[in-house]
Amino acid sequence: MALIRWNPARELANFPNEIFNLQREINRMFDSFFRGWRDEEETSLAQWSPAVDIAEKDDAYIVKVELPGVEKDDVKVTLESNVLTIRGEKKFEKETKKENYHRIERCYGSFNRSFTLPSTVKSDKIDATYKDGVLTITLPKAEEAKPKQIEVKVK
Amino acid sequence: MTALVPYTPTALTRYEMNERVVPPVTDIYETADSFVVKLDLPGATKESIKLQVEPRKLVVQSSITADESMNLLYSEIGRKRYYREFNIGDGINVEGIHASFEDGVLTITLPKTDEMKAREIKIQ
Repeated sequence: MALIRWNPARELANFPNEIFNLQREINRMFDSFFRGWRDEEETSLAQWSPAVDIAEKDDAYIVKVELPGVEKDDVKVTLESNVLTIRGEKKFEKETKKENYHRIERCYGSFNRSFTLPSTVKSDKIDATYKDGVLTITLPKAEEAKPKQIEVKVK
Repeated sequence: MTALVPYTPTALTRYEMNERVVPPVTDIYETADSFVVKLDLPGATKESIKLQVEPRKLVVQSSITADESMNLLYSEIGRKRYYREFNIGDGINVEGIHASFEDGVLTITLPKTDEMKAREIKIQ
C-alpha cells in the first residue's frame, strides 16, 4: 500500500505535536458545522457555502470569496435590489471513477451566498475578478457614502 | 493624532491578527499508474507554495499575503497559512513526483513504481 491509511492510535504516539493537529481538526469540524448551519437559515438550496471576507476601503467595498477549482464560467454574480448573490456550481471530475477515491474532503455541487449591501453602492460599476481560486468583487461606493472632510470655521 | 480612547481589540480584530494554520482540504484518488492528491489552496500563488518530499513524507505549505490596509467588516477567511503532511509508503517513485497549480488547486501526481502497477499475467 503506497499511501498509508490514517491510524489515530499512531498519531497519538507523536504526542504532543499531534495534539495540535487534533485540536485543529476539531476546530475545523466546528467551523464547517456552523457554516452549514448558518447557511441553512439563509438559503436552503445551498449544498455548500464558500468562505467570505468583506472589507471596506475609502472608496469601495471588497468581497473576497474562496472558490478553488471552480470554472470562471460556472460562477454567477448578481445584484438585485441591493442583495449581492454569488452562486454557481463546482463540478466533480468525470474522468475518474468514484471507487478509485481514497479520500474526498473537497466540496462539490452548487453553492450560493447572498449579502445585503448598503444602498450606497454604484451598482453599474461593480467589478469581479477570479485569480488563484479567489473571486474578488469590488463594489465602488456612491459619492455620498465616501468619507468627506468638512472644515468648520470657528468664529 | 492622540489616541484618547484606549485601544480595545474587538473579537474581529483579534481573529484577524492571529494567523491560523489551516490544513487544506484534500482529495486523493488512484489511477492505473499513479496516485493523485488535490489540495484546495485558495489565495496561494504558485510562488508561495512549498512542496517538500522528505523520506516517507510529503509536506505542503503556503503562506498567504494579506492586504493589511483593508478594514475587515466580516471575516471567515482572515489571516491564514496552509500546512499539511502526508505519509508516503513504499511503491511510490519519489523521483517522478510532479505538481501543478491552477485556479487555487494544487494537483500532485505520485507515480507508482513498476511493482505497484497492476499487471496482467499470461496463462501458460
